[in-house]
Amino acid sequence: MGTIERQLYASPNHKRYFTFITIILLLLFIWSFTAVNLQNVESSGWEIASTIIAGIFTPDLELLLTFTTQGVPYLLLETIAIAILGTVIGAILAVPLAFLSASNVVPSPIAWLTRLLLIFIRTVPALVYGLMFIRVTGQGPFAGVLTIALISIGMLAKLFVDAIEDLDTSILESMTSIGCTTFEKIRYGIIPQLFSMFLSIIIYRFDMNLREASVLGLVGAGGIGAPLIFAMSAYRWNEVGAILIGLVVLILVVELGSNRIRGKLVRG
Amino acid sequence: MYDKIFPPKRIALPNGKVVEQKRSRMPIVLVLLFLALYYSIQFTDFELSVLLDRWKEFFFIVFEMIPPQWDYFPHIWQPLIDTIKMSLLGSVLGSVVAIPVAYLASSNVVKNRALVSGTKVFLSLLRTLPTLVTALIATFIFGLGTLAGTVAIFIFTLAYVGKLLYEQIENVEMGSFEAMESLGMNRMQAFRYAIFPQVSPNFLSTALFCFEGNVRYAAILGYVGAGGIGLLLNEGLGWRDYPSVGMILFMLVITVFFIERISEHFRKRLI
Amino acid sequence: MIEFIHVEKIYSNKVKALQDVNVKIDKGEFVAVIGLSGAGKSTLIRCINRMHDITSGKLIVDGVEVNTLKGKQIRTFRKRIGMIFQSFNLVTRTSVLKNVLVSFVPDLPFWRKVTGIFSKEHKIEALTALDQVGILDKAYVRVDQLSGGQQQRVALARTLAQQPDIILADEPIASLDPVTAKQVMDDFQRINEELKISVIMNIHHVEMALQYAERIIGVRDGKIVFDGKTEAVTQEVLDYIYKGEREVQQAVEGEQAYV
Repeated sequence: MGTIERQLYASPNHKRYFTFITIILLLLFIWSFTAVNLQNVESSGWEIASTIIAGIFTPDLELLLTFTTQGVPYLLLETIAIAILGTVIGAILAVPLAFLSASNVVPSPIAWLTRLLLIFIRTVPALVYGLMFIRVTGQGPFAGVLTIALISIGMLAKLFVDAIEDLDTSILESMTSIGCTTFEKIRYGIIPQLFSMFLSIIIYRFDMNLREASVLGLVGAGGIGAPLIFAMSAYRWNEVGAILIGLVVLILVVELGSNRIRGKLVRG
Repeated sequence: MYDKIFPPKRIALPNGKVVEQKRSRMPIVLVLLFLALYYSIQFTDFELSVLLDRWKEFFFIVFEMIPPQWDYFPHIWQPLIDTIKMSLLGSVLGSVVAIPVAYLASSNVVKNRALVSGTKVFLSLLRTLPTLVTALIATFIFGLGTLAGTVAIFIFTLAYVGKLLYEQIENVEMGSFEAMESLGMNRMQAFRYAIFPQVSPNFLSTALFCFEGNVRYAAILGYVGAGGIGLLLNEGLGWRDYPSVGMILFMLVITVFFIERISEHFRKRLI
Repeated sequence: MIEFIHVEKIYSNKVKALQDVNVKIDKGEFVAVIGLSGAGKSTLIRCINRMHDITSGKLIVDGVEVNTLKGKQIRTFRKRIGMIFQSFNLVTRTSVLKNVLVSFVPDLPFWRKVTGIFSKEHKIEALTALDQVGILDKAYVRVDQLSGGQQQRVALARTLAQQPDIILADEPIASLDPVTAKQVMDDFQRINEELKISVIMNIHHVEMALQYAERIIGVRDGKIVFDGKTEAVTQEVLDYIYKGEREVQQAVEGEQAYV
């Protein structure tokens, strides 16, 4: 065998592995088609679609621009308020949980249990929490705040842990050489590093929470979701259009702002 | 602007040099944060006393869910599988369609400015629509059932994967693309051989990650009638049949956990 | 003055990092420690401010026997010895000035430690230190915006703000390009000459060592194999330090004036 030929056969043979995975994926894909049943599709689908689109593009401007408690601006403010308060409460709760699930901070059984708890908290759908909290607080935005707080915990804690594990510990060495105590090392070596990372994570989650808060109204937990759903089930598509336009603009603006602030926090 | 209202503090060094220290923005940020929190509390009727009084109610439900009603399992099985199928189908189709859309949204491969920014705006608009709302609209058009859910997941995946993909394409090393073009390939071919190999591991990883999230999302889509396990969840909660809800949640957690493990395994291999 | 008397350092994995080290370094000297990686250069330097404990022998710094110090005494003792690292060891997400101010932290009253509000005097001292290394204009810039050379200067300013008698430098230019490395070495030289601070430096770049240091200490396998004025370092001496060729040994022994 010549050198070139040997090199040819020596090339890492991922092909078989790759084909295997592709075939499995393909089978799964085909199998998943069986879930789609087309019997329910009404022939009038396209007509309905065009009505909806027409409605959305001729929004109810009065609803969009009135500042009463029924108007879109007020509802958006309420949604923002739910997201802000929920994010702050969630972040406060997530910090201790993050340290409890960092295996370099606590014994590994505790870390493991906390992680399991976090996975559980993360997986339960927000709407379920919403319904559970309504039992505590009654219908309204208060339940939404608690729901947002709870569903934020899982992701926040996970990202906090990543930040804790990414800490640059070399600074501690030089603080030792300056003669700092452990408390001083944490205050001036670790907190400044974590602060901007945590803040950036929290802002990112706020961005997501705003989206979550906008559908919580579905179960009566406040925010713009409830009027949206009502309008939809009553086929009042111009109202749907007004609400969606407000929501989309709000989410885009917040996203733009949050990306900017986070870029500044992380890169300086 | 801020520096004009609050002029920088001047610090004089012993050797005569003067340093200007800009005023910290911390106070104003703190004031704004405080105001935001205050008004949020006003707006949402947040009351700590209610929470302290009635938090047990929350755990009341939790404890009713334990132990879950194990023999409910046969009822859950089919909708759970439907949920997975829905998210798989929606994720795969969405990711595949995301490739040409992301191509059109990348300013470094498509030279038509209007087309590029148009596609970008389209993607961000899609992304801001809450999935639940898309699903609800889809049920009006495609009828109740899994198809509506699949469409909602498809749209979300398209928007999410599409955005991340075009960001990656725009950050790619362009040297090889130019080299391929100089070899006489057209832009499409050059994209296929020079850029796609660079972004494909990341693309697959993003798609997998999106699939993970979609399983979670698909679980609630049934709530608006878009198929899958959410329908049972809705019923269980409506009838206050908490042991069954507990069983559904239990199965959901296990499923999501396994899917996350599998997807994480492959994502680690990809990067 | 730093004095090593029969110092030995054995790591827990039985590696003998230092064997029978006898060195005396006077105030105001500029000493470069050279040798292969793993020869014990770093250990030698880190024993001086008790970042490492020595196993046996005596290490005396300005009349203080270092290995007898405990807890708070160690921390007070370290304040007089500045240390510079290869990786700069700065908090990259805060401003240059805040990094320099860290050197005052051990002496602050408790409320200042917690709030992180520094007095004007400390700020002026920190700014003066930044001026001494020529980056006063970067005081309010975030560290991650600076180049490697500038970051090492921030570290140097942080050390100067401590007002140390001795500066230990562990490979300070190893991660810098030649031009910035030279600038940082110039800073060290100026600090050594103008402020009369002793500098003891581990260094890979032999030419740099020969150019800036007054005295060279060669380390091989945990032993001091050369100790003398820079002018006495010839190619044979370097070969002996780095390769340990026997015929060179005799040539060197005649020149060991310092031991």
